[in-house]
Amino acid sequence: MKRIPSGRCEIALHELRAGPGPTLLALHALGGSARDFAALAAAWPGRVLAPDLAGHGASGWARGGSYTPELLAADADAALSEAGDAVVVGRGLGAYVALLLAGARAARVRAALLLPGRGLAGGGPEPLREPLAARNADVLRMLDAAGASERAAFDPMLAACETDPRPPDYARAYADAARRLLLAEDGGARPPWWEAARGAASAETAPAEPGAALRLLVGAPTPG
Amino acid sequence: MNVPVGSYPGAVAPARQRFVRSLGLRLNVVEWGDPEGEPVLLMHGFYDHARSFDTFAPLLARRQRVLALDSRGHGDSDWPDAYTWQADVLDVVNVLRDLGRPAHLVGHSRGGGLATDAALLFPEGVLSLVNLDGFGPPPAGWEAEGMRRYEGTVPELLATFFDWRRTNVQRRSFRPSPSLDELAARRRQQNPRLSTEWLRYFAGHGARAVEGGWVWKVDPYAARGFGPWRPEWIAPAWRGLRMPMLAVWGDQPDAWGLPDPWRSERLANVPVLETAVVSGAGHFMHIEKPAETAALVLESLARA
Repeated sequence: MKRIPSGRCEIALHELRAGPGPTLLALHALGGSARDFAALAAAWPGRVLAPDLAGHGASGWARGGSYTPELLAADADAALSEAGDAVVVGRGLGAYVALLLAGARAARVRAALLLPGRGLAGGGPEPLREPLAARNADVLRMLDAAGASERAAFDPMLAACETDPRPPDYARAYADAARRLLLAEDGGARPPWWEAARGAASAETAPAEPGAALRLLVGAPTPG
Repeated sequence: MNVPVGSYPGAVAPARQRFVRSLGLRLNVVEWGDPEGEPVLLMHGFYDHARSFDTFAPLLARRQRVLALDSRGHGDSDWPDAYTWQADVLDVVNVLRDLGRPAHLVGHSRGGGLATDAALLFPEGVLSLVNLDGFGPPPAGWEAEGMRRYEGTVPELLATFFDWRRTNVQRRSFRPSPSLDELAARRRQQNPRLSTEWLRYFAGHGARAVEGGWVWKVDPYAARGFGPWRPEWIAPAWRGLRMPMLAVWGDQPDAWGLPDPWRSERLANVPVLETAVVSGAGHFMHIEKPAETAALVLESLARA
């Protein structure tokens, strides 16, 4: 494990598998950590790097409790710099972060595989307004959890990434910029941003089983 | 605070100062007036600080306990690792909880937007709301001097943010000015309606001495974040306000104020709205016309 700077924080970057061949950068779900990818890493033919995103695992917690998918994508970008270029796999919140990274760093993200998991949906196309009392109770519960003295497994303020707005046209802009996007489908419901990304020229449907989906990326010719 | 900064007509230093913990940060809160009085919490605007209320707060303090918060990254409050709007709003909730009794919220500019969102989130802590020209940016963003525009597609802009964050986030301050006078003069280019004399007083509390001169205390990073936020999301939320809002603006054109038709369109969402116009003032009505603005606010608080 290596500690790398990301903004004013330090994040833990784990090498789950060493070796030559294409690098896989794995981004965990909300509340998860790099360790969640142990099995997947064993199935990848090259090097596997996985950060603990800020507020998770062995990484620092953002001082002041500020978390957004874009800030977590900056952590993933710091990890990508260590990799050079990579195939990116993301689960849940990590899948949305992978989409942002695949669009923003299209020159270095060969392909991104998006898997369902915790934090996938966000709060919908616009900020949540109704019912106000329920939304307020959720936010104040997060604030109380953040003020509790015992240290939780991950920063309670990350719950902000379960209610952040994710407009479909915003997500689509990243999907349009990405080189290759694999969306793992199992027939289950997907959030509006996912449906919008599905319409991009770069998007393909992948099997729901992560190992089978990853095999699509191994040895396949890389476009671009 | 640790250097002689001179005086300004009508300016009164706070009587009390303390820190409130919020999300791991130490936030600076200053106070004027009777500590047992009904509280009013003042929220300053972007790149301002609590001491920008030194002429306005004492006028309110004749009838109220007046508190002013330095927003995170501003004044004498701690700097966070990153900035999100929601975390700033939660700071206001933490200050209100620390106070232990409901307060009136008075916010200027960005502070008006924060106060409004805090009132939506934590209505049981807010007696009434005064918004001093804090109605958000125009749909196309601010065109005022000093607000840099970035060009590119959304993914390109996120990449620009990544690059900027990597190289700039460790910066501890802006470029030093050789003197407070020059710092004030530079600020005047952004706020030409404010007098040099005021801005020197303002800089005396908003800047600190370093090798080579003076720098603003404000975090240079406070300006930057990135996300899908849109100005059209601001006003519909105001339909949920459970207390009256007094909306105040000046009648003089000012690049930092929100003009009509957007102001009227947005305010149409406020369920119980009072409006007041300060004549002869721009965006900084509480600094340009403190007595007139304080009178309007006190009248409104008495009705609430």
